[in-house]
Amino acid sequence: MNQNNSLWVETRDLQPRLKQPLQGIINLLLVTAFFLLVWWIFMDPRGIIRWYTPQYGYMYIRWILIAAIWQVYIFNYWPFKDSFLNNKHPLIKGLILIGSNIVIVAFMVWVFCYAFLGNLSIPYLNPKVLTGLGMTEFFAREYSSLAILMMAAIASWLSPVWPVCFDNHPWQNLTQPARGFTVWVWTFFLTLIAFLILMHPHYHVLFYPWQEYAAAYPWWYGFARTLSGNFNVGWVMCGTVSIWFLELVFDRYPIRLIKKQPLRGIIGFLFVFTMAWLIFFAFLFLQDVSWGPAVEGAKRLYAPDWRHLHCGELACMMLIPMMTLHFYFDNWPKKYSPSINIAIRCAIIFIATGILHYLYYKYSPPILGTQPGYSHPQQFPMAPVILWINMMLYHYWFMDMYPGKRLATRKERLPVSNLIAEEA
Amino acid sequence: MSDISRREFLKGLAVGGTVGYFAMAGVSSTVMRNSFIPPAKVGAVDIGECKSLKIKVITETSWFNNALLMDDMKKAGGLLVNQYEIPWTNKGVTEGWKGDNAGGYATLVEVEFLDGSTKKILLDTGWNVDWTDTCFKREGIDKMLANGEIDCLFVSHEHFDHFWGIEATLKYRPDIPILVPKGFYQEGFDLLKGANFPKCHLANNVPHTGPLKVQESEKVHKLYPGVASITFDVPIITRVFGEQALVFNLKDKGLAIVTGCCHMGIISLMEHVKQTIKGGDNFYAIQGGLHISPFEDWDPQYDDLVLALHNYGLKTMGCNHCTGYVTAEKFVTIGLPVVKGTAQHKSKRDIFLGNGDMMII
Ligand SMILES: [Fe+2]
Ligand SMILES: [Fe+2]
Repeated sequence: MNQNNSLWVETRDLQPRLKQPLQGIINLLLVTAFFLLVWWIFMDPRGIIRWYTPQYGYMYIRWILIAAIWQVYIFNYWPFKDSFLNNKHPLIKGLILIGSNIVIVAFMVWVFCYAFLGNLSIPYLNPKVLTGLGMTEFFAREYSSLAILMMAAIASWLSPVWPVCFDNHPWQNLTQPARGFTVWVWTFFLTLIAFLILMHPHYHVLFYPWQEYAAAYPWWYGFARTLSGNFNVGWVMCGTVSIWFLELVFDRYPIRLIKKQPLRGIIGFLFVFTMAWLIFFAFLFLQDVSWGPAVEGAKRLYAPDWRHLHCGELACMMLIPMMTLHFYFDNWPKKYSPSINIAIRCAIIFIATGILHYLYYKYSPPILGTQPGYSHPQQFPMAPVILWINMMLYHYWFMDMYPGKRLATRKERLPVSNLIAEEA
Repeated sequence: MSDISRREFLKGLAVGGTVGYFAMAGVSSTVMRNSFIPPAKVGAVDIGECKSLKIKVITETSWFNNALLMDDMKKAGGLLVNQYEIPWTNKGVTEGWKGDNAGGYATLVEVEFLDGSTKKILLDTGWNVDWTDTCFKREGIDKMLANGEIDCLFVSHEHFDHFWGIEATLKYRPDIPILVPKGFYQEGFDLLKGANFPKCHLANNVPHTGPLKVQESEKVHKLYPGVASITFDVPIITRVFGEQALVFNLKDKGLAIVTGCCHMGIISLMEHVKQTIKGGDNFYAIQGGLHISPFEDWDPQYDDLVLALHNYGLKTMGCNHCTGYVTAEKFVTIGLPVVKGTAQHKSKRDIFLGNGDMMII
C-alpha cells in the first residue's frame, strides 16, 4: 500500500493516557453515556424531541453512519488537512467533524432526497409530495423515511467495499479530493442501482392500488415468502456487518495477502457477500430453532419478513462488541497467528453478543423507552444499536478517543512514520 | 514474498472455507432441521361445544377523522409514545361526535349453548363515553347492563378506543365482572378505580366495584362450554402490552374467532389456536377488528396476510374497525367472504359490518 493511499486514521499514532483495561472501560462508559444522552434528547419516545416515530429518527441515524464512513474512508477527512487533524484539540476537532457530518446528513436527506429526487423523480422520497397526493402527514413521513434510510443502509454495505477490498483501485494514485469524489460517485452509483433493485419493488406493493407500472413486483416473493423489502434489509445488513468483520476483526486477513488488484477486490467482495449470507442463514436457523418455522401472512414472531429483518438486527448487535474490542481494547489479542487471533476475537464477539442481546431485551424498555418483546412491528433495535455505533465512530474517528487516548506528539510520531515509509 | 503470501492466503482461505462450508451445510441440512426445530404441536385442549353466535356491532368507528388522529400521534412523537401522554383532539372536529374525534369500539357477543340457554359478553367498551353511551342506548345495552343480562366485560386490550370508555359500562353496572389481558399498565387499573388523566382528556367517574380478573398469557382460559379466550404477549403501538381474543367451537360448523383489534395478527392467532385447541384446524368464521390498516396505512407485509388468508378455509368473515377499508377492498377483490354492512350511525362505508349491524353464525 503506498502512503498516498493510506488513510489518516490508519497511520495516526494513538498513545494511551491510562493503562488498559481501565482506559478502555472509562472511554467505553463515556461514549455509552453520551449515546444514552443523545438517544434521550432526540429519539426516546419519553424524551425531548422524540424522533423515533420510529422511521423518522431511524433515518437520520442511518445517514449519520454512512456520512461518517464517507468522511473517513472515502474522502480521508478532506477538506480538512493533516495539520488540522494532527494539531487541533480532540474536542474542538470532534465538534467540527461532527458538525460537518450533520451538514452532510442534512444535505443528503433534505436537499438530495426531499428537494431533488423527491420533487423531480420519485414521490416517496419526499413526504410533502406524498401528503399532496392525499396521504396523512404521519405516514407520508414514515414511508419516505424508510426509503431514504434504505439508501443509506445499502451505501453502508457497498461504499466501504472500495477502500477496504479494492484499495480504491484503479483510482489509488489520485489525490484528494479527486479520489474521494471518484470513489464516492462510483460507489453511490452502485448504491442507487442496488436501491432500485432491492428496495424500489417494495413500493410497488406499499401503495394502494399497486404501482405496477412504476416498479417491478417484488421478485423475491417466491423464495422469501414475503413481499416486504425487509428480506433485503436483512441480508444487506449482514453485508454491512461482514465488511466490518473483515476490517476490524480479520484485519483484512486473508484478503490482504493477495497483492494484485482488482483480483483482491473481487475476492474480497465475494468474501463479504458469502459471509453475509452465512450470517443471514445462521440467524434464520437460530430463529427457526427458537420459535419454530415462520408462517406466511403471520405477524410478529412468525412473520417471514420480520424473521429476515431480525437476522439483520441480530447481525448489527455483533457490531457493538466488535467495535468495543477494536476501538476500546486495542483489538485484543494480537500476539498469535492471524487465524488464532481472529478465532479468539470471534469467540469473544459471539459470547458478548449473546450477553448484549439478553441485556438489550431485558433493559431497553426502562432505559431507551422502547416496548418489551422481541417482535414489534414499529420498533427496530437497529436504531439504538446503530446510534451507539455512530457515537463510537465519532469518538474513534473524530476525537482520537479522548480522554483515554491522545495523539502522539510530533517527536513521538517521527519513528512511526519512518516505519510506514519503509513498509511501503 | 509473493509466493509466501499466496501460500498464506490459500491457507487462510482453506481454513475459512472449511469452517464456512460446514456451517452452511450444518445450517441447511434436513437432519439438523429435524433434530433442532420443534415440531408443530397439535391442539389438545378441549373447550367443548356451543350452538350459535349473535354478534352485534355496537360501535366500530374508533375515531372519526383519521388524519387528525395521526396528527395527534405525530405531534406527540410517533407510534411508540404512551397513549396516556397524548393530548388527543377532542374539540372542533366537524365529522366527530359533538366536535370530539374520539369514538370507540364495542361489540356484544351472544352465545347460544347446546341446551338452548344463552350468555352475553360485552367485548370492549369504546373510547368517548358520550358516544359509547349513545350507541349503548341505540342497541339497548344500557338496559341489558342495568338488569344484569350481560355476564361480563371482556376487554381485548388497553387501547384508548377499546377501553377508555369504561364509564359508559360502569355507570349502568359498576360491579360487572371484568376480564383484562395480562400486560395492563397501572394507569389502566387506576382508570378502573376512577382515576382522571387530564392530559389525554380521560376520566372515569364511576369506580369499578366488581370482580376483576387478569387473564394470563400462554394458556387457554375456558369461559363457558364451547367458549374460551387466549391472551397474547404482544407489544402494541402507543405503549400497550397484551391482547386477548375469544374462541368459540360451534357444533357442526367449526371454530369462530372474535377479536377486538387483533394486534397479534389473525394468522398468528389462528396458528396458535391450531396448536392449542382441539379441532383447531377447522376454522369457520372470524369477526372483529383485524388490525391491518387501521389508519389506512399500508405495508407489503399486509399483502402477505391478504394472500395467505385463503389457506384457512374461512366460510365467513365479519371484519371491521381496524381492519381498514383498503384491506377490506383487497379481501373482496381476491374473493374472501367478507360480510357487508349497512353504513349506518356514522359507519362510513358498507364494505364491512358497521355500527348497528349484526352477524349470526
Ligand atoms: Fe382498535
Ligand atoms: Fe388496538
